[in-house]
Amino acid sequence: MNTGKLAFPMPLPAGVGTPSAPGGLEGQTSQEKPVRISVRRSRVDGCSTKDPAMFKTEELQINIGPQHPSTHGVFRMLVTVDGETIIDLKPVFGYLHRNHEQIAEQNTYLQNMPYTDRLDYFNSMANNQAYAMAVEKLAGIEVPERAEYIRVLMVELTRILNHAGALGFLINDMGMWQTQLAFGMREREKILDLFEMASGARMMCNYFRFGGVVRDLPPEFMPKLKELLVAMPAFVDELERLLRENEILMQRAEGIGILPKELALAYSVTGPVLRGSGVPYDIRKAEPYSVYDRFDFDVPVGSVGDVYDRFLVRIEEMRQSKRIIEQIVEQLPDARGGHINPRARQNVRPPVGDAYARIESPKGELGFYLVSDGSPRPYRYKVRAPSFINLTPLGDMCRGYKVADVVVILGSIDIVMGEVDR
Amino acid sequence: MYDIVNGLINTTFGWNWPGWVIALISHLLVTTLLFAIAPFQMLFLTYYERRAIARMQDRIGPNRVGPAGLLQPIADGVKMFTKEDIVPAAADRWVHFLAPCVVVAPTMLMFAVLPWGPGMVPVDLNVGLLFFFAISSISAVGLLMAGLASSNKFALLGAMRAVAQMVSYEIPAVLSLLAVVMLTGTLSIVQLIEAQAGLFISSADVPGVPDLGLGWFIFTPVGLLAFIVFFIAALAEGERTPFDIPEADSEIVAGYMTEYSGMKFGLFYLAQYVLNFLLCAIAAVIFFGGWQGPGVGWLYDRAISPANPDGNWVFNLLAGFLGVFYLLAKTYAFFFVMVWLRGAFPRLRVDQLMDFGWKFLIPLTLVNIVSAAIWVALLRWGPEQGITFTQNWTPILRWGVAFAVTLAVNIVAYIALARIFAASQAEQGRIDLDEYRDTLTATLR
Repeated sequence: MNTGKLAFPMPLPAGVGTPSAPGGLEGQTSQEKPVRISVRRSRVDGCSTKDPAMFKTEELQINIGPQHPSTHGVFRMLVTVDGETIIDLKPVFGYLHRNHEQIAEQNTYLQNMPYTDRLDYFNSMANNQAYAMAVEKLAGIEVPERAEYIRVLMVELTRILNHAGALGFLINDMGMWQTQLAFGMREREKILDLFEMASGARMMCNYFRFGGVVRDLPPEFMPKLKELLVAMPAFVDELERLLRENEILMQRAEGIGILPKELALAYSVTGPVLRGSGVPYDIRKAEPYSVYDRFDFDVPVGSVGDVYDRFLVRIEEMRQSKRIIEQIVEQLPDARGGHINPRARQNVRPPVGDAYARIESPKGELGFYLVSDGSPRPYRYKVRAPSFINLTPLGDMCRGYKVADVVVILGSIDIVMGEVDR
Repeated sequence: MYDIVNGLINTTFGWNWPGWVIALISHLLVTTLLFAIAPFQMLFLTYYERRAIARMQDRIGPNRVGPAGLLQPIADGVKMFTKEDIVPAAADRWVHFLAPCVVVAPTMLMFAVLPWGPGMVPVDLNVGLLFFFAISSISAVGLLMAGLASSNKFALLGAMRAVAQMVSYEIPAVLSLLAVVMLTGTLSIVQLIEAQAGLFISSADVPGVPDLGLGWFIFTPVGLLAFIVFFIAALAEGERTPFDIPEADSEIVAGYMTEYSGMKFGLFYLAQYVLNFLLCAIAAVIFFGGWQGPGVGWLYDRAISPANPDGNWVFNLLAGFLGVFYLLAKTYAFFFVMVWLRGAFPRLRVDQLMDFGWKFLIPLTLVNIVSAAIWVALLRWGPEQGITFTQNWTPILRWGVAFAVTLAVNIVAYIALARIFAASQAEQGRIDLDEYRDTLTATLR
């Protein structure tokens, strides 16, 4: 059922060419219905006042971070400004480095599962899935149908909570003093309650196991989930109305931090940032894993690639996730098998070889590359973290804008330092 | 105050003290009161803001210290006092020390001309309004001192933003008040309030209607437009969202306050909230009649006043209470709007702020001054000034024509200026996306 149309049917800008994402994009077509017509200019051309006839100005170097309220953790931006205009920006990271990959190579495969929770601590379920898939590929473990449904359900819930939180933080960075954040967190709490019900933990879920999930959904889970699905559209609509009707918010978001398509592809950016730039690349469609080929959902794309497009893409993704969850609720009772493959050993000793598994995490392509030498510990453990790779074009996105825009652009990339530095 | 003290001591008690003693006593009383009131306002406003914004954000707000959290601001004050006062090693010690004083002192001085109730004004300056805004500009110097002396880049950026913003938005604020000054022909805040007695229908009140104290300038087209502009400018002067750019916490940490701690930081906070209170109060005074409201005039007619030395001091108390109640109700209502905006809007960017102030607000106030002149000409001027066609009109007709003409001028001006502003923004804003992409992707090759 890989026939979803683009949920944000926008024409690609002239001169950009047809989408050229790797694999599986047939069947995705775009309709000629522009959502956005014009863009405000927010970037200053010829930003430096280097005319010797004018009075002398000095460039100022500022360290935004590592202790700064809006760098989403310990992240440093070495910014060179001329007055308020950015002329150069260098992202500096590594302050939260905790040797994740090396530690993982000292642990057994199962011991690493809780470590993956701490990568992107907002989306522990998504991290679990990517890691479990990599190990299953390596060891050749089958996953029952019901377990796959539960996994997809959890990851889609994660996507909703991540986007609700990310948009809240972004608007908070714009100076709206936590109002939106508080409402986003309220929705997030409801989903965390569901996680707690299923896994016993709210954030560090550690719910997935090789061959399934650690325990089946409790009986009170489904009624609560249905309640959530009934209440959610109102929240998403409210958020979208805020974005589309708040003049100041539009002024701060439109035309800011434009990431052109070519640049995005060249930096191998993924996730909502890439889709905001107009590339309809979503691993759930491009290389359907788990049971995603059974669901009907759309991939939203933007047209300009600015902060506002990333906003809209995230909002639409929340709606699409809700659609997927509704289909799961329908199909789950008929799914075969239990919550875990009873023959799957947890203390795996995979045969010699390597495996790479990737999923569409809420932030982009999350991949785990594992090399096994036949021992119970991975020989090599590598994480392809979307936050880290999405952060690399930050300097190009910020150059020419104002100091105030930097935090907005950073917020629109949606990073978690736990995943950037590992 | 002088009248009340004089009335109490010399008339009621019959002690016959000399005038200078009475003046001294009354001034000391007033200063003591004001120095108690100003920090109290700050304490109350912080509590009020935190509770109100908590409601908007689906929270409860401070609720642990005292009943319903009412003592929270006092606990915060104690915390401020007990914190270590840190001066950065590279800072200019004296300027760093003086800056909070330079910021706080003007805001305290501004209380001197604020009338609280009928006959309750510390100093009735004949240029009170001018004094108010002249004094308020001084705090910009203090902000720059703070930013420069801290030798911190965020503080410097914040101070530059603060000064640019205050200087730019002082112009629309003062120009919008100028329109009201033209309507009344006075700069004295007391007289401005007195001009708002009765009903705002012509210079003569409608016969048979008691003094309701509802002749507020907000009910005229000139006053309405002036109020809107003034309130926006007041948001910028008081550094409130969406204009809280100088202390944008997500961008430049805390702006000019970054390197301050302990009570010096508290003083900046105090100055800011007192300034917000004063700006709300002056908006209430100039456009919403200040203490004017139904009942105050009637009570004050029976009280001790220069016009009526034989009145009863009980009526002074009653009129004072009612007047202060009206003033504070209006002021807190405006402050609520400020809190509301803070909960609902992100902040603008510096260039957007400047564009809005210089390209939209200032032209709008200039047009408003023209319509204020039309209002005065139609309502007051006669043959002596060379206007003869209004000679035989009744006051009501004159008022009606003036209302209609100024309303039309203001609405046309608003729409036209908004269009021009939007067009200029759009002109600036149209990006050739292809060209834009080329310049960006050029960095790849």
